[in-house]
Amino acid sequence: MATAQVSEAEKVYILHGIRDDLRVDGRGCEDYRHMEVETDVVSNTDGSAKVTLGHTAVLVGVKAEIGKPRPMIPDEGYLEFFVDCSANATPEFEGRGGEELGTELSNTLYKVFNNQHSLDLRSLCISPGEHCWVLYVDVLLLQCDGNLYDAISVAIKAALFNTKIPKVHISSDDEGGKEIELSDDPYDCMRLDVENVPCMVTLCKIGHRHVVDVTLQEKACSVASLVISVTHKGVITCTRKVGRGSLDPESICEMTEAGKRVGKALHSPLMKLLQQEESLGKKRQKVGFLG
Amino acid sequence: MLKSKTFVKKTRSGGVMKVVREHYLRDDIWCGSEICTECKQDSTVLQRDACIESNLCTFPHYLVPDTNVVLHQIDVLEDPVICNVIILQTVLQEVRHRSAPVYKRLKDIIHEQGRHFYTFTNEHHRETFIEREPGESANDRNDRAIRVAVKWYSQHLKTDESGPDGVRVVLLTNDQGNKQKAEDNGLLVYRFEEYIKSLIANTELVDRLALSNEDKNEIASSKILFPEHLPLSKIQAGIKSGSFIQGTFRASRDNYLEATVFVQGEGEDSNEVLIQGLQNLNRAVHQDVVAVQLLPKNQWVAPSSVVLQDEGAAKDDDVDGDEEEKLLKQSLTKSTRKATGKVVGIIKRSWRPFCGMLNVSQIKESTRHLFTPADRRIPRIRIETRQASTLAGQRIMVAIDGWPKDSRYPNGHFVRSLGNAGEKDTEEEVLLLEHDVPHQAFSQAVLSFLPKMPWIITPEDMAQRQDLRHLTVCSVDPPGCTDIDDALHCRELENGNLEVGVHIADVSHFIRPGNALDKEAANRGTTVYLCGKRIDMVPELLSSNLCSLRSNVERFAFSCIWEMNHNAEILKTRFTKSVINSKASLTYAEAQMRIDDTNKNDDITKSLRGLNKLAKILKRKRIENGALTLSSLEVRFHIDSETHDPIDLQTKELKETNSMVEEFMLLANISVAQKIYDEFPECALLRKHPAPPPSNYDILMKAAKSKNVTIHVDSAKALADSLDGAKVDGFQYFNTLLRILATRCMMQAVYFCSGMDSDFHHYGLASPIYTHFTSPIRRYADIIVHRLLAVAIGADSTYPDLMDKHKQSALCNNLNYRHKMSQYAQRASVAFHTQLFFKTRGILNEEGFVLFVRKNAIIVLIPKFGLEGTVFFDSKDKASPKLVFDEEGPTLKVEQHTFNIFDKVKVTISLDDSNIQHQKIRMALIEPVIPGVSVPVPEAEPQAKKQKLDR
Repeated sequence: MATAQVSEAEKVYILHGIRDDLRVDGRGCEDYRHMEVETDVVSNTDGSAKVTLGHTAVLVGVKAEIGKPRPMIPDEGYLEFFVDCSANATPEFEGRGGEELGTELSNTLYKVFNNQHSLDLRSLCISPGEHCWVLYVDVLLLQCDGNLYDAISVAIKAALFNTKIPKVHISSDDEGGKEIELSDDPYDCMRLDVENVPCMVTLCKIGHRHVVDVTLQEKACSVASLVISVTHKGVITCTRKVGRGSLDPESICEMTEAGKRVGKALHSPLMKLLQQEESLGKKRQKVGFLG
Repeated sequence: MLKSKTFVKKTRSGGVMKVVREHYLRDDIWCGSEICTECKQDSTVLQRDACIESNLCTFPHYLVPDTNVVLHQIDVLEDPVICNVIILQTVLQEVRHRSAPVYKRLKDIIHEQGRHFYTFTNEHHRETFIEREPGESANDRNDRAIRVAVKWYSQHLKTDESGPDGVRVVLLTNDQGNKQKAEDNGLLVYRFEEYIKSLIANTELVDRLALSNEDKNEIASSKILFPEHLPLSKIQAGIKSGSFIQGTFRASRDNYLEATVFVQGEGEDSNEVLIQGLQNLNRAVHQDVVAVQLLPKNQWVAPSSVVLQDEGAAKDDDVDGDEEEKLLKQSLTKSTRKATGKVVGIIKRSWRPFCGMLNVSQIKESTRHLFTPADRRIPRIRIETRQASTLAGQRIMVAIDGWPKDSRYPNGHFVRSLGNAGEKDTEEEVLLLEHDVPHQAFSQAVLSFLPKMPWIITPEDMAQRQDLRHLTVCSVDPPGCTDIDDALHCRELENGNLEVGVHIADVSHFIRPGNALDKEAANRGTTVYLCGKRIDMVPELLSSNLCSLRSNVERFAFSCIWEMNHNAEILKTRFTKSVINSKASLTYAEAQMRIDDTNKNDDITKSLRGLNKLAKILKRKRIENGALTLSSLEVRFHIDSETHDPIDLQTKELKETNSMVEEFMLLANISVAQKIYDEFPECALLRKHPAPPPSNYDILMKAAKSKNVTIHVDSAKALADSLDGAKVDGFQYFNTLLRILATRCMMQAVYFCSGMDSDFHHYGLASPIYTHFTSPIRRYADIIVHRLLAVAIGADSTYPDLMDKHKQSALCNNLNYRHKMSQYAQRASVAFHTQLFFKTRGILNEEGFVLFVRKNAIIVLIPKFGLEGTVFFDSKDKASPKLVFDEEGPTLKVEQHTFNIFDKVKVTISLDDSNIQHQKIRMALIEPVIPGVSVPVPEAEPQAKKQKLDR
């Protein structure tokens, strides 16, 4: 994971600040940095979103392809994740440097998103046991400035919201042979229900307190953090502890409660924003990567 | 400005892919009109005074047809009356997507400068590009794009100073909805029929209108005669699952209620499915690709031997051909049942305009008439015309528009008249059309690739070529030949060896790969020689001038030069591009005279003698290797110089010099074949002649046996030897007859791509490898071979298609097809001229030989005319004599007399013109005299005179 070099004096400064609910950049302990979301940024994907959080930037693309359902769950489609830690984000990722982090991130993403509770996977099924939609979710890290999990999860939620899957229907003949037919209207497509898709909130234990959305400097002061995925109703679907240090049960409880609160508060403005953007339709001024 | 176009498509593996294309919009696309002052265009296409005399539009106007109008009414659009038309890119693209032939015709019109057709790229114009909206179908979007473009045009042209009398834009559409919307937008819009009917000066155009859907409904009665065709998706699924079979529909020539569907299987494994009865044929037309469902085995039938022709007046749609179908059933014998099926759907129509004649309806005022195509395999077509009285007795062309399920006949429309039936030009045109020989004048696009005249040889050209102008090169050809492909030379070298050169016209220098000229030549494939007419593969400037190796002019050649010893053994072979200057263009007879004339000793004659000597050795060697000398009678007509009617005909005779030229051409072809195969083992274009299966020789062996001669057919060599030895005393013609028979046993020689086949052997020439190199002016295969050879010797650069074996293979298929059709056309032309010849002769008596014996007839060859004809022993109106056919002989016993193959007979020859569309030569037996069968010797002379008086 990308790190920053912080001197002892700086650490003390940061620690003392947080103790007083005052962070280096002026935020409170449960405040996020400035966040920007834009969807439909990559035209050859079925859904895409770009999220910047402070200096952290991630791009998520969703490609829908027809595949075979998993044998154990024949009536569900599924998601595949791949996280590309581009060396653009930080020189440490050069070569195979980002591989380990990429695997770690994508493993977490499987746990959080690839289940019936977060996304209606049944709607991805075309014909049970034979065809289903497989959503390939590709995450590209453009810039790392801490708090990757939160940024990625928001981007995934936005990209899934933006995803348009072409409508297909199965025609069958008397012999039982099935043929997939594609609608010729590009506007005729299926949308995903992203209401239950959770967002991840990372809480970092710094000193005796915990903060959300850490910058790299703050992160250097922490030994352990907790990643919690929270739905819009405040239900926790997954928790994960990251980092070397240990957490006592009491602070875990405190951090979960805080995560719930922050997560719940994150969802509604995000959904509002996405719907607003959608309603603009073609009139929307695209920002893209150079804006 | 950049936009992106997005669409999803299905991949071959069944997946779904999203495709995004960039689409650029520009603001420098001009309108192409003369009156426009805004657009900064260099040249304009559309005229200021665009006037077509119409009583709907009395002002100058430009026409904008929509896609369906172009697709269905291209016959009308092709008429020179229609000009100043704007073809929108939307329309062009859709036409291209839906029908390649119509697209090509449209492109040809656009290229014609006198027609003022302008292509407006509205899809890239900033103001006329539109994006598809939610809920809008692709067709609706295109219709809207057309309307937007028309709207743009009318506003664009209105702003000019021309005022109210200015040019207006007229949208032509047959779509009701589209028309309505256009009217709402304030556009000037007419139905196509409406507009064409308003053209007061050109009423004949109305006949060429294809029937639109509404008109079709009027004609057909309500009763449904045919089962519905299945939709394509169902057919495809059915073929996948094996319940349907895909094949080519081949109607029977003799029975309109019967057809076979030819199913291409894996490799040799192809088979046929029989289709019988109107219902089962289900509106399929000859050559369509259809889907067939096999009937249960107990409904299988045998092919009937009855000849049935759809004749007489138009049958009412509700009176079915029941009675005739019953006739079919009677001929059913259980033993010979074949797989039988019914047509369930049409995969691809291969409708083209058909030639034929009109059966004028008995009802005088009726405008609906039946049309009988010349090709018996095509059903009769119902057309609507007001000029029936003028068209009766003419050969006309008709295109099929559709075949609704409640109509007995397909509906069509009149395309054009070819002229009066029986006239030479008309019949020639019919012949070319029916054999699918492309014979239109070369288009402007093609001609634009010709070299500019006067053509001169530049120093750069000379630098790339070897200068062989000093050599004594001469050409030897048939008299009157203007496309001289080849020239020869022979000289003694200082070391005592001989240098022999074959110089072939360097056509590939002028025809560069991929341009319109090349594509046209590739499509035509070969020059077609008819009696007294030549249909060129390349424009005349090339074929008769720049490429033709005429005497005393400098020409580019591709030379193949050997060093040989006096035993005609090749010591060295060399290929080079060269410049030559032929010293003489001789005919075969002239060359022969020079060789024979001992007084002549000039360079040309010496060269000819050297060539002749070597050729004899080469020929001997070839024959020793087992090459076959076969025979077929070729006829030459003496044509009257004024009337162009044949006045006499004689069989072609071959001179020594013919075989001299041939020998060197073979040698050059073999040398080149070896060279290009060595260099490009995967993509050399070669020619092979497969050995015939032994059963093909049965008839030859039986025939020979009847004269106590044995023919060995184990190998080409054995066959050649036994043919040489086959002689019967007192019957000189026997050997020639045998060779004619042997020719009929052979397979067709074909072009192929070396990477796609493993068997290269040329059976007839007994050569392990062979190609065509020596006639690039008249054969496209030779051009490809030239290109390959040029690449092999580093004289030219290659291009991707040349090295693509699949593309080459496809090209070979076309060349083989064109080649075959040109031969058929040639034969048909000879047959037609023979008929013309006999028309003026009245009845003749000639001697002939029995060539084949059939169940109810003998086929007689008249050597004097090279003419073959059938003498039937049974006829419709007469009781047939007692016929006993013995398949073993084969012999046919008629009453007391037994006919064997090779029997000498005497027959009368006359022209049977009772059916004007299918005139034929009729033969009747005179000798041997069989009572009740043979006819008395006619008094030929007075008959002929009387005939002449009549005319």
